[in-house]
Amino acid sequence: MEHTEHIEHTESPANMKKQIMNTFYVLTVLTIVDIGLYFLLLSSHSIFKNILFIFLGLVKAFYIVSVFMHMKFERKFLASIIVLPMLFICFLIWLALTEAGYTFGLR
Amino acid sequence: MSNTATLTTDSKQTWGGGKSPLSISYGKLMMWIFLLSDAFTFSSLLVAYGFVRFTFTSSLPNAIVKPFSHLSHSFTEEMQKAGMFVTERWPSPELVFNHFPFLHGLHLPLMFVSLMTFILIGSSVTMVLAVEAGHRMAKKEVERYMIWTIIGGAAFLGCQAWEWTNLIMDGASLQSNPFGPTAFAALFFIVTGFHGTHVLSGVILNIIIYINVVNDTYEKRGHYEMVEKVGLYWHFVDLVWVFVFTFFYLI
Repeated sequence: MEHTEHIEHTESPANMKKQIMNTFYVLTVLTIVDIGLYFLLLSSHSIFKNILFIFLGLVKAFYIVSVFMHMKFERKFLASIIVLPMLFICFLIWLALTEAGYTFGLR
Repeated sequence: MSNTATLTTDSKQTWGGGKSPLSISYGKLMMWIFLLSDAFTFSSLLVAYGFVRFTFTSSLPNAIVKPFSHLSHSFTEEMQKAGMFVTERWPSPELVFNHFPFLHGLHLPLMFVSLMTFILIGSSVTMVLAVEAGHRMAKKEVERYMIWTIIGGAAFLGCQAWEWTNLIMDGASLQSNPFGPTAFAALFFIVTGFHGTHVLSGVILNIIIYINVVNDTYEKRGHYEMVEKVGLYWHFVDLVWVFVFTFFYLI
């Protein structure tokens, strides 16, 4: 074992296994809720329905990134490096949907 | 222990050199940066989908087929006659993705894709359990969880192959679509294909890691950080599927 090296990393909490299982239950329940809501709101084409599904997707994404990908326990600076550039995506969505509105009007 | 453990951890010294300022190794930071760029790629594909979807009117409410009802062999033609599958309207996902293996001829909307979602969530959980076992240097546990992760990934790929086959047999391709606008099938194949390619490379990486674990590579190295890095990639693939599922099947 003379070639072992030491690497720096942030420690996981003692109850990591419990947190993993809780995240698993949250993801499973949210997916079931997703499918249930899909059939409940099948005939609706409201924009709020889309926002609801996107919100549920974002909640799932938050749990995956924070617990599964360990982001909750990393330095805040690292989290900002990864999360803040995502704001560009919001800009892209706004651009694309505005343009799509015009295109729809031309059809 | 190496000399990094003996250096001061005073916060003023964070960027002073001699230690990693983000408490993260170079390889893991680079994996995060790669995932950020990959997130941009996937979001541009999904935004393109959103753009095209927005330029079409939504489907008519389905009052024809109920869940568990019997499907005839000319289901697609019937739907085209009923005005559900027309090129001016975006099709309703429940009428397109309604098949299930071994239950041929039954209308089971979104059931198969829900199963795929659960398979991917499950393999994500076994991956993070492998990472957790790696922290404790529990080689046998890492091996066991990696095997389950590989099985989950392979099962997901098999499901996707089955679903693709079904849609292609119905006549969907990059240039034609019996369910409505051509762009629907084209975007479906491009985005799920791109995601499936990521799953495939993830499974290959997982197999390489598994072989290394069995060969004691990480035991000799003194840490299982390689499992964490590939784990980050694998969770990202699951994360992308959450959004592919939301946009293609639910909205």
